[in-house]
Amino acid sequence: MSWTIDEWFVVALARTIRPRETVFHGFGSPCAQVAMHVARRTYAPEMVLIEGAMYAINPDPPFIPPTSNDASLSRGAAYSMRFEEFFDAAIRGDVDRMFLSGGQIDVSGNTNVTAIGPVSRPKVKLGGGGGGCNLSATIGHLTLWTTRHRSGHTLVEACDFITDIGHRTPLGTRAELGFTGGGPQWLVTELGVFDFAGGRARLVELFPDVSLAEVRAATGFPVQAAGDLRAVRPPSAAELAAVRSVDPLGVRTSEFSPRELARTFEPAAFGRGAGQDCAC
Amino acid sequence: MSLQPPRDKRTSLADAVALVGDGAIVALGGGLSARLPMAMVRELVRQGRRGLHLVGSAHSIDVDMLVAAGAVRRCEESYVGFEQDLGLAPAYRRAAEEGSIEVAESCCVSLLAQLRAAEMGVPFLPVRGVRGSDIAGLHPEYATITCPFTGETLIAVPALRPDVALLHAPSGDRYGNLHLEQPYVLDERFASASRTVIATVDELVSTEEVMASGITIPGHLVAATVPAPFGAHPASCYPRYAYDRGHLREYVSAAQSGPDDLGKYLTTYVYGSEESYQAAVGAERLAALTGWSRSTAAWQELFA
Repeated sequence: MSWTIDEWFVVALARTIRPRETVFHGFGSPCAQVAMHVARRTYAPEMVLIEGAMYAINPDPPFIPPTSNDASLSRGAAYSMRFEEFFDAAIRGDVDRMFLSGGQIDVSGNTNVTAIGPVSRPKVKLGGGGGGCNLSATIGHLTLWTTRHRSGHTLVEACDFITDIGHRTPLGTRAELGFTGGGPQWLVTELGVFDFAGGRARLVELFPDVSLAEVRAATGFPVQAAGDLRAVRPPSAAELAAVRSVDPLGVRTSEFSPRELARTFEPAAFGRGAGQDCAC
Repeated sequence: MSLQPPRDKRTSLADAVALVGDGAIVALGGGLSARLPMAMVRELVRQGRRGLHLVGSAHSIDVDMLVAAGAVRRCEESYVGFEQDLGLAPAYRRAAEEGSIEVAESCCVSLLAQLRAAEMGVPFLPVRGVRGSDIAGLHPEYATITCPFTGETLIAVPALRPDVALLHAPSGDRYGNLHLEQPYVLDERFASASRTVIATVDELVSTEEVMASGITIPGHLVAATVPAPFGAHPASCYPRYAYDRGHLREYVSAAQSGPDDLGKYLTTYVYGSEESYQAAVGAERLAALTGWSRSTAAWQELFA
């Protein structure tokens, strides 16, 4: 049994979901989308999965399509929320987790999905934040992700434009701003996993084919590494099976460069117990 | 303004879209790949509309085509793009980077509050976020307030009353009663908040039929209704047809390439009529899109 970085990445995202959480993903988030269904099929069968812009509750889609509001995503759901039902729930604090990404992410977990360069005359006008600048204030926990860490342009000292709010902005901390949600809890990249101890990104896990030096070279802020920095735990057979059955179209791969997709891993490299169903 | 009277609202696409004036605040129904009001968008391009202020949540080819055609002054959506599938919206992106449109990027939550304030007849509603985000800087019309009950600081967003809402429904009757399938997106809010609501329907049905399907938007909110088969194409309108990924790819490629290729796309597809549009897309393609429910494999094949 072998697996590729996109499969491992989705598993790492899924693992940030705690059992029985109410979880959402926004537009254009295929890795997060697949991860949520993987979590529900493995360690979090009692999570409340709100499926993207269909707002379907706990659906069983036959495949993940390349757009977040296709009817295939609501198959099997007894109920789909209206747009306003979802956003009301999120703002009053009933949504525990959502996934956010960005063209830029800074050390406090602020993300930029609006513009690279000055917004009045951008170098690159990005798609836009959807509900992010309000959701990031009130949702319980955020899992951030990027598959473009290695480019060196994504994890930055300061975002050119802050769309979604992390732990500290020029206007103050989350506590000073009176925000009710906990903010970014994890940042998963194709190089490793960060937590936000003390409100600042801290590297806690590395993929085994990545060195700390590579992470520092790709990161625009000083990388603080945890004392017990460890390797990302390999996926189990059950997790891999879930990824492959949830995403037969492979939409998750659209987030990765061809170079990254060539990263393949085998259990033999990880020793006893790896690649099997484990409770570790 | 009063509610719409119970009369025959049927009109032609040209006459309905003539109700959208230059410079109007236009609310676009549907979102992303679903139930975009594309027949009306194409008609706006045909009629050479200018200076529009577009409002909506997450959109794609509808906004991009209007920007490409030079119809837009100001964009106020929470997202414009083709997601991870086809990437950034080419005309929107180029116009924003050149400074030829005003970028007033918004947030789904703020927009929802603004529409609700209009529906409720109050001048503003509060939202909990926005402070600390640079989205605030794009909206000098927002205000910072102190809650008179809790003392907390909130952002007040002003009521938003679009001049016209453009909605596409799978079916509706002659009185403007519309049946929608999920995702409703913001269509119900637009219908109540906007001054004038124009709807296209894939199929005009009897009042009994639309009642049996379920009236999602009542005729007393709708000023004009136009029968327009495949009126959302290349977006989906389930259960009738899935979205046309191949056509979206063709549009994105043309818009990305530049004015010549974009011009060819518009000549091939838009500058004629809806009948010639459907002929250009092709009966075979349309049949494949309506055949999505034949099997899971057939459905999946549409996205391959």
